[in-house]
Amino acid sequence: MGLVQVWGCLAFAALVLGCLYKAIRYATMPVHLRWELYPVAHEGGKAEYGGSYFEEVEWWTKPRHVSRLGELRTIAEEVLTLRAVRENNPRLWFPSLAFHFGLYTLFALGAAMLLGAATRAAGLDWLPFLAGGTPLLVVDAIGLALATAGALGLLARRTLHPELRRASTPADFFHLLLLLAVFAASWGSWIAVDRRLSLAASFLDGILGLRASPPVPGLFAAQIVMLGVFLAYLPWSHMTHFFGKYFTWHSVRWDDAPNMDGTVFEERVNRLLMRPIHWSAPHIGADGRKTWADVAGERTGH
Amino acid sequence: MRPEPLIPVTVRGVARDASTLSPVELQRLVPLPPPYDELDPESLWKALTPERAAQVDATLDGVSALSLRRPADPAEERRLLDGLVSGLKKLTSRDDNWGFLQQLELTLDHCTHCQTCAEACPIFLESGRNEVYRPTFRADILRRLLARYGEGGNVFKAALTGSIELNWNTFARLAELAYRCTLCRRCMQACPIGVDNGLITHELRKLYSQELGIASSECHTSGSVLQLKVGSSTGMSPAVVKDNIDFIDEEMSEKVGFAVKTPWDVEGADVLLMHNAGEILSWPENPGAFAVIMQKAGISWTMSSELVAYDAINYGLWYDDVQFARVALKHAEVAKKLKVKKIVIGECGHAHKALAVVADRILGRELSIARESFAPFIADIVLSGRLSLDPSRNDFPVTLHDPCNLARAMGIVEPPRRILRAIAPRFREMEPHGVHNYCCGGGSGFAIMSGNNFANWRMLVSGRIKVRQVLEAFARELDPAIPKYICTPCSNCKGQFRDLIRAYGLWEKSRISYGGLVELVVNAMTDVNPGFLEWEFH
Repeated sequence: MGLVQVWGCLAFAALVLGCLYKAIRYATMPVHLRWELYPVAHEGGKAEYGGSYFEEVEWWTKPRHVSRLGELRTIAEEVLTLRAVRENNPRLWFPSLAFHFGLYTLFALGAAMLLGAATRAAGLDWLPFLAGGTPLLVVDAIGLALATAGALGLLARRTLHPELRRASTPADFFHLLLLLAVFAASWGSWIAVDRRLSLAASFLDGILGLRASPPVPGLFAAQIVMLGVFLAYLPWSHMTHFFGKYFTWHSVRWDDAPNMDGTVFEERVNRLLMRPIHWSAPHIGADGRKTWADVAGERTGH
Repeated sequence: MRPEPLIPVTVRGVARDASTLSPVELQRLVPLPPPYDELDPESLWKALTPERAAQVDATLDGVSALSLRRPADPAEERRLLDGLVSGLKKLTSRDDNWGFLQQLELTLDHCTHCQTCAEACPIFLESGRNEVYRPTFRADILRRLLARYGEGGNVFKAALTGSIELNWNTFARLAELAYRCTLCRRCMQACPIGVDNGLITHELRKLYSQELGIASSECHTSGSVLQLKVGSSTGMSPAVVKDNIDFIDEEMSEKVGFAVKTPWDVEGADVLLMHNAGEILSWPENPGAFAVIMQKAGISWTMSSELVAYDAINYGLWYDDVQFARVALKHAEVAKKLKVKKIVIGECGHAHKALAVVADRILGRELSIARESFAPFIADIVLSGRLSLDPSRNDFPVTLHDPCNLARAMGIVEPPRRILRAIAPRFREMEPHGVHNYCCGGGSGFAIMSGNNFANWRMLVSGRIKVRQVLEAFARELDPAIPKYICTPCSNCKGQFRDLIRAYGLWEKSRISYGGLVELVVNAMTDVNPGFLEWEFH
């Protein structure tokens, strides 16, 4: 494989491994104390107004109705329409929606092209339109246009609006500038050397076939290099909210699972209560050896 | 958008020397509807005297919640700053913050600073968009400190997160900032990603309290410590609380026309009723009304005279996990000992969240006890016909304030409304309401915090939007000839409403009063002497 292909593979692997590391880290964190917030989307009919099972008399004697469809519907609406931004921060909504839709389109395009390369690598010719052509041209153009316009809009807003500028961090600007650099390289490649994405398709064929593709034009290589930088960096940034949202919404905001009879979480929590506590304030009463169970059972009066 | 100040306030600038980093600008407060737009905010404001300002640090915004004294010498300052760094590491450790680690790390890692949360924060908006009250402002100070001083902190992270200097200014202002948010969590509701700036406030308070012993004295020394020591944050011992309840029973008996008696320590009762003990002292008609309802409905119930158990409060919920656990475990322990079928939590919002929600997973099978809100419990009594009710006795405008800890934290929205629709013919909603309500401005302990000029701040800033909502709910009936009732089934909210009504003259000018839900129920009971509700302000 050529250097550009190797870089592409390494960057993709860095993305996957980095995201897996982060996701596993979140997933294996200790069971947390309940911190849900209503409306909770799986509460069935009550979710419309934000109600919960706590509204029922002796709720513990009644079956809980948990609607996963309700959760999916709420997340889908949030992802596809950015509902929270639309309702609370309308001036940011349009550029943000364009930006995200552009990214969704480009991501879908990339996934489809990978699928096309995989079928070709298997000797199947099921998806010939994914080897390059007008459909890819159109999808790429739409995706790039939306993402670029959205990113420019967001950057303009962050730069020109004093409140947003003050509240932004170096990372917020860096991410947008990095993405715009990727988009610029992509535009250059698309306009000058690979409008129908046939070069991209054969590049992927080379990777999956573990063979060197012919030397690629500089503009195409620049696109791959910039994209690779972005993908390798992504897991270490707040851009992991694309899967982080699963945890913030499902594992925290909607985690209202009751500890029925005290048994559901008992084993895990008992282990946590046996952890040593090190906080230093006098009223805690920690001495380096006491556990959470020890100090929680104390009735200190100081 | 407010005009840019001469020296824009930035997160990094929290460390700079300034007599006041971002003062409360009274002329920027969002105006109230007429005739209250004529009220000069200056009349509600109290600046610290120069002498007091020299004693305590109020350099964040001219307000002091914590009475933080400047370090006596560089060595003490070093100790405090080292303590903050040490606390930062514990905040992100599995050993020392397992209960909140996942939600904290998720929030720290994923904020994109889109400021959608700011557009939902009543304190930020009502202050006229004072920069230091922006939900991300305090969160970003924490992020910058962690990037630089926390576990795994490094130059690369610090460069991308933004720089910060850790000095006394940063230390003191961050501590104060932890008490400029009521933990209402509208910010998390609004956030498209699920970042929780209310949680950041909670974690900051915990860091200062659990590592350095710095907390609101009203919540800690006079709050949770007193509760654990003598039985109640009000200072009432078991003997005193029984005496007080006896007195309330006598008053109720005279008022309602039949004998009312609160049972104590009845083993095997169906219900252990737990009140915020503040009700007993400040709003005795509330526990009294509960007793009347329980008796008339034929409920098998009891209160407990054991230490801690006659006070449902758990202030640790807001600022200290260890104090929180101590009180919650005690509450459950007493209920198990009494062998009651369930605990019913009275009209106290944070008591609900503490015992029914946050404590849930630390109550193993030995301490597991059913816990129910008064709201569905009373709704069931009211709607089942066990009480004879005449709604015409409540023929006056009523609006409902949804306590954050009932609505947004627990999803208890409909039961209070089912009750009000049955007994209050002129009930109307505030807007917004339910899970989208605004905090009264007294949440997370603010209602009991009045030192220095903090009470002035919560009247003018944190409570302002609630005054607006009340005035809008009663907009067509502000005539003082029409008495009006804010139904607020939460003790802390009641304290805040009492102070707001007094400060803004809502009783004198518009005959707006406040009270709990059960008082309205008893007021509608036909076998109770008319006039249970007395239209006087206290």
